[in-house]
Amino acid sequence: MDFYFGLAQIFGVHTLLGLSAYVVLLTGQVSMAQAGFYAIGAYTAGAMTAMFGLHILPAIVIAGLVSAAIACIVGFPALRVKGLMLVVATLAFGEMVRLFFFNLSWQVERGGELFGPDGAEGFRSIRYFPENGWEVWHVTVFIWIVVAVVMAALWWMDRTRAGAVLRAVGHDEVAAQSIGLNLTAVKVGAMTAGGFIAGLGGGIYAHTVTHIEHGVFGVLLATFAIAYPILGGLGSVFGTLLAVLFIQGFLIEGLRFMGDWRSLLFGALIVLAMNLRPNGLLGEHAPRLKSILRLGKPAPDSLETKDAN
Amino acid sequence: MKLKALLKAGVLGVSTLAMASVAAAQDKTIRIVGFGAASGVVGIFGQNSSAAMSAAFEKINAEGGVELADGSKAMIETEYYDDRCNAEEGISVLRRIASTDALVAIGPTCSNVAEPLFGILQAKVDDEGDTGLQFPVFTDVAIKGGLAGISEWVFRNTPSESQMYDDLFAWLRTNHPDLKTIYGGVEEDFAHSRFTWYSVMKTAAEKHGFEVVGEAQWLLSDTNFSNQARGMRRAEPDVVAISAHPFTTCGMLREMTRQRIQPKILVGLTSSSSLETLSGCANEAEGLTIPTSFAPVNEEAKAAAEAVVAKGGQMDLHSASAWENAMILKDIIEAAEIGGTPETLEEDRRKIRDALAELENAPGLLGSNKRLPDGEAVKPYVFVHAKDGSWDVLHNPGS
Repeated sequence: MDFYFGLAQIFGVHTLLGLSAYVVLLTGQVSMAQAGFYAIGAYTAGAMTAMFGLHILPAIVIAGLVSAAIACIVGFPALRVKGLMLVVATLAFGEMVRLFFFNLSWQVERGGELFGPDGAEGFRSIRYFPENGWEVWHVTVFIWIVVAVVMAALWWMDRTRAGAVLRAVGHDEVAAQSIGLNLTAVKVGAMTAGGFIAGLGGGIYAHTVTHIEHGVFGVLLATFAIAYPILGGLGSVFGTLLAVLFIQGFLIEGLRFMGDWRSLLFGALIVLAMNLRPNGLLGEHAPRLKSILRLGKPAPDSLETKDAN
Repeated sequence: MKLKALLKAGVLGVSTLAMASVAAAQDKTIRIVGFGAASGVVGIFGQNSSAAMSAAFEKINAEGGVELADGSKAMIETEYYDDRCNAEEGISVLRRIASTDALVAIGPTCSNVAEPLFGILQAKVDDEGDTGLQFPVFTDVAIKGGLAGISEWVFRNTPSESQMYDDLFAWLRTNHPDLKTIYGGVEEDFAHSRFTWYSVMKTAAEKHGFEVVGEAQWLLSDTNFSNQARGMRRAEPDVVAISAHPFTTCGMLREMTRQRIQPKILVGLTSSSSLETLSGCANEAEGLTIPTSFAPVNEEAKAAAEAVVAKGGQMDLHSASAWENAMILKDIIEAAEIGGTPETLEEDRRKIRDALAELENAPGLLGSNKRLPDGEAVKPYVFVHAKDGSWDVLHNPGS
């Protein structure tokens, strides 16, 4: 059973990573910096628990806040550029973060042992969960509570003016600006929110794997981060979740028995999925709960079929 | 007539029961599962390990299997999981293995997977406050120094690189007193190669009086080495040490040949003492000297190598460890009196762990492997060099 709980943990942290990119994508920006924010969250939360003995909850909140603050700072200069230039700029930031941790050595002594990042050797012994009596299922429940809170917050935001503003900027910047929306504030706000979610995800990730190193937070992870919401569709937060289940559950875990063919199929199935569902698995307009519940019932008469009196 | 029929039925019943018992005994299996990188850039290491494990267990089964606590025999069943050298996947794979009836796991391939993987295991045995996974892992390939100390459930049968390179540079100092300078080349983004250059090779070289006149870094996926080689050419070192896996070792050696860099001695990473290096760049690797814990220098090693080749793999220092692990585990299972039933699974896993912890010496293909209290091993080794497209034993420190 622990295997399935472990798998659910992977789904959870990757969903947070995907949701961090989802918020930014809503404003029409493709950010490759999410892996960098994820790394900042991972190292910060790891330091909080392993080096300073904090509880996991404040540790991941601090990790989220630190990532959010850096995302906000990065947002101002980076979001002045668009399209491919933004991709390059955020990619450069992600690499900068990775190389920062590659060079960061900062260890403190606790109980006769050294804890903390050790440059290229990485950050070992982030063992808050096992050392504090957390069983695998406890960790899984904890992760999914965090994921549920983040998803609920984003789902709620999507149904408020804030969500409409983000989507308006994403659909047509000029039109959004012409009705008085502050583009910089919206984009930087989205980047900050994305940074916070990535920081939370990274913080939890560090504790599930117990050892982190710079190499994990490279271009591949950044690509996965934006692939989840694009593959799942920007219609709702559930698209990202569905894409994570498809990639991590089916393509990676489900096809493990295929060996070398798995990597080949991995790419081919994503291309196929994008061709069959060009707007993502759930599309741009996710089905609403009401319409799902009405399945099977006759649809109300459309305007065209009504007789004019 | 009735009595005859009754007797016949009785004999038939008893014999059927006896045959069923024999069949049941023969059906008994012990599962030992391997895992590591079987695909991707370093996939060849996992494929070789898988072949070596498979060949070793086939040999054990052909010789009657393993004896269990009740005196019955059991066959060893094995399979190999691919973790693609990815930490998250490695952890997932180990959890999957632990959730089955597997007794022990052999793996992983990559040190960057081993480090987090060992972290999810219980650090100290019988520590009630530590909820880490309690499952024995007997590592064959991940060679980066000092990893077994992370958990008391981890044991490694990987050679001690610090001792091997210390011995190699001491030997070079004695046999080539004219050599003064060394230049290092390191595959920077791979845990093993990076650790081996900065913490093992460089330290050993300096200890034995070599002056490090420069370092060149590259990545596992790099294909262009011209800048790194240019720096090396300018430094004109006597010795060049390349701490990289076969793929980029060959890339660098080809570039060195193109730029006509000819050091007096070339030293390579343990993992490069494999067929991949020779099939990739036999001419350029000519003279490359590497310490290795496997070479087909005796009958047993030759036979093992042939068995692995028959399974579609190659025997090198890594896959040799997988072979040795299988053989050590056979002895352990028999000595620890393993029950081999679903009811005794947890107890059996603990017995395997305890028996591995108590082991002081274990048989190896090149001789006896010394087991250390921290779960590491010190294995016999030889120095080999690339000569005419094959690995030739240059020096045997144990002889």
